[in-house]
Amino acid sequence: MSRDTNRLLGHADEADGIEEYDNPLPDWWLGLFWLTILWSIGYVAWFALTNQSQVGWYEDEVAAADERWPEQANAAVQFAYSAEAAAAGAEIYATNCLVCHGENLEGGIGVSFIDDEWIHGGQAEEVVAIIRNGELSRGMPAWGQILSPEQVNQVASYILEGHAAATGRTMEEIMAPPAEDGPGA
Amino acid sequence: MESSASAVMPGTPSTRTNYDDQIVKMFFTATVVWGIVGMLVGVIIALQLAWWPANLGLPWTSFGRLRPLHTNAVIFAFAGNVCFLGIYHSMQRLLKTRMWNDTLSRIHFWGWQAIIVSAALTLPLGLTQSKEYAELIWPIDVAITVVWVVFAVNFFATIAIRKVSHLYVAIWFYMSFVITIAVLHIVNSLAIPVTATLSYPLYSGLTDALVQWWYGHNAVGFFLTTPFLGLMYYYLPRAADRPVYSYRLSIIHFWALVFLYIWAGPHHLLYSALPEWAQTLGMVFSIMLLAPSWGGMLNGLLTLRGAWDRVRTDPILKMMVVAVSFYGMSTFEGPMMSIRAVNGLAHYTNWVIGHVHSGALGWVGMISFAILYWLAPRLWNRELAHPKWVDAHFWLATIGIVIYTVAMWAAGLMEGLQWRAINDLGQLANPSFVDITARLQPFLWLRLLGGTMYLVGVIMMGINFWQTIRGPGKPSETAPATAAA
Repeated sequence: MSRDTNRLLGHADEADGIEEYDNPLPDWWLGLFWLTILWSIGYVAWFALTNQSQVGWYEDEVAAADERWPEQANAAVQFAYSAEAAAAGAEIYATNCLVCHGENLEGGIGVSFIDDEWIHGGQAEEVVAIIRNGELSRGMPAWGQILSPEQVNQVASYILEGHAAATGRTMEEIMAPPAEDGPGA
Repeated sequence: MESSASAVMPGTPSTRTNYDDQIVKMFFTATVVWGIVGMLVGVIIALQLAWWPANLGLPWTSFGRLRPLHTNAVIFAFAGNVCFLGIYHSMQRLLKTRMWNDTLSRIHFWGWQAIIVSAALTLPLGLTQSKEYAELIWPIDVAITVVWVVFAVNFFATIAIRKVSHLYVAIWFYMSFVITIAVLHIVNSLAIPVTATLSYPLYSGLTDALVQWWYGHNAVGFFLTTPFLGLMYYYLPRAADRPVYSYRLSIIHFWALVFLYIWAGPHHLLYSALPEWAQTLGMVFSIMLLAPSWGGMLNGLLTLRGAWDRVRTDPILKMMVVAVSFYGMSTFEGPMMSIRAVNGLAHYTNWVIGHVHSGALGWVGMISFAILYWLAPRLWNRELAHPKWVDAHFWLATIGIVIYTVAMWAAGLMEGLQWRAINDLGQLANPSFVDITARLQPFLWLRLLGGTMYLVGVIMMGINFWQTIRGPGKPSETAPATAAA
């Protein structure tokens, strides 16, 4: 601003009395403008030439998380029913599932567990998979991102125990692997 | 004209031309009325967010319908009428000519007010195009186009019959407003009508999103920025009675601003399905907007050199300083928020609401109030009924903005950080979205407090003008008579 001339341009008569000085652009302002332009060119070059991508960044983050928490990366954590697990699962159910699936597993917004109808199969493996991965199109969240694998197994134990008690299916039947040709009727 | 004009001294409006000040008074009145209405609706929806029963359980009064009513009212009714009153007042004087056609001016005025009334009726009824800041249904869109063309014809015809050769910088900014808003509105509103109230946009999916945010971003740029910079370039040097700091800066920052602004829209679609190269372009053009935006702030603040003693005492100049400062602040914040890493934290949080309102309340609102307070005594040739209220309004508004903005920053940061937080097991630390939403409540009450203070100031301004215009009032000594029709 030291280069300010404060010389009037003298066209106030053409601007309703408003005068204008003929001052140069402030150096720091011009410097800032050039800096943002050069930075922008640099950013575009970096993004394009080093193959940056948002999808790639996401995949890097997932890979880093899988390395740090290998247990979660292993989707095939074995499900095993136990009465202790089911007891622990009751509280998880009350906190997270009850609102949609009902106080007594009878359903509501979500499906009922005390009948023999299953959308994605009624074998333990299939039920655990739905709890873990969700079914977003029907409003079922992917609880594997929120509950630990152990907690998923606990709440599955609670649900399947209640299902068995209501329908008379034995735990052996429920634990059997799903049919080869997809979800059961 | 040439010889007589040279006798005009800075700060003295030319009195030789028979200007149409009636149209300025009409837009002035509409501005104050819609300002109070629009900001009142803003306070109501702020209450609804803090305390849900204020939705009243009725569809017509629910947040989802009143929110677009608020944005349309403050942007197109309040800010729009401010632009029109300032343009009709200043361009006649800058061009030394009456408006080309008084009938067109009145069609513009009544047409625009009819559009606002139809918006106020259709939006609460749930009639909407569902495009943000372009919610109005197609028949109203057609009306906007017709009224805008009427305005544009009158505007450019008035420039054509001007009695000066040099176009002052304010006029360039007004031209960018008139041309760009026409293009934005028409392109974004292209739709196929199905019934009298329903239409489907010509674009679908991603194309629709890109066109929408090209429009949405430039509505901010060319409805809330360039016309107000034009108004600043006329009213700030007039109120301060100082020469504009740098003619060169005004040219460079004008062209840089209008060239760069139009490309920055994709920063609203970062981390979306938009091709990443387009997202990158939107981001870097936003970064390059920083200096051109600050050029306007600098030219405003440096014009006040030599008038800072008056800034301490004159509430109108104080409002202008706060306005220009908030302009600089929010045009720094905007480019920062367009950086991918920052956007990942800030997007969809209340930080965005805080950013928008620091620009809207701080820049658009404050510069508008300053212009209104400066103009009222001159237009009606009266002293203000309550001069001390202007200072009270200044402090209510300034403190209100600070409370509003800080509350929204805090709320937004909290949301952004809690949404992404991960615990030692690699799970979401806050798995329940609703829990985080519930924690917003204290900040939402604070925002209501800040917004209410701002509204109280605007109501005081309305009463002040009402009593100035309708009350007995004495002839003004400070304002020379302008020759009205």
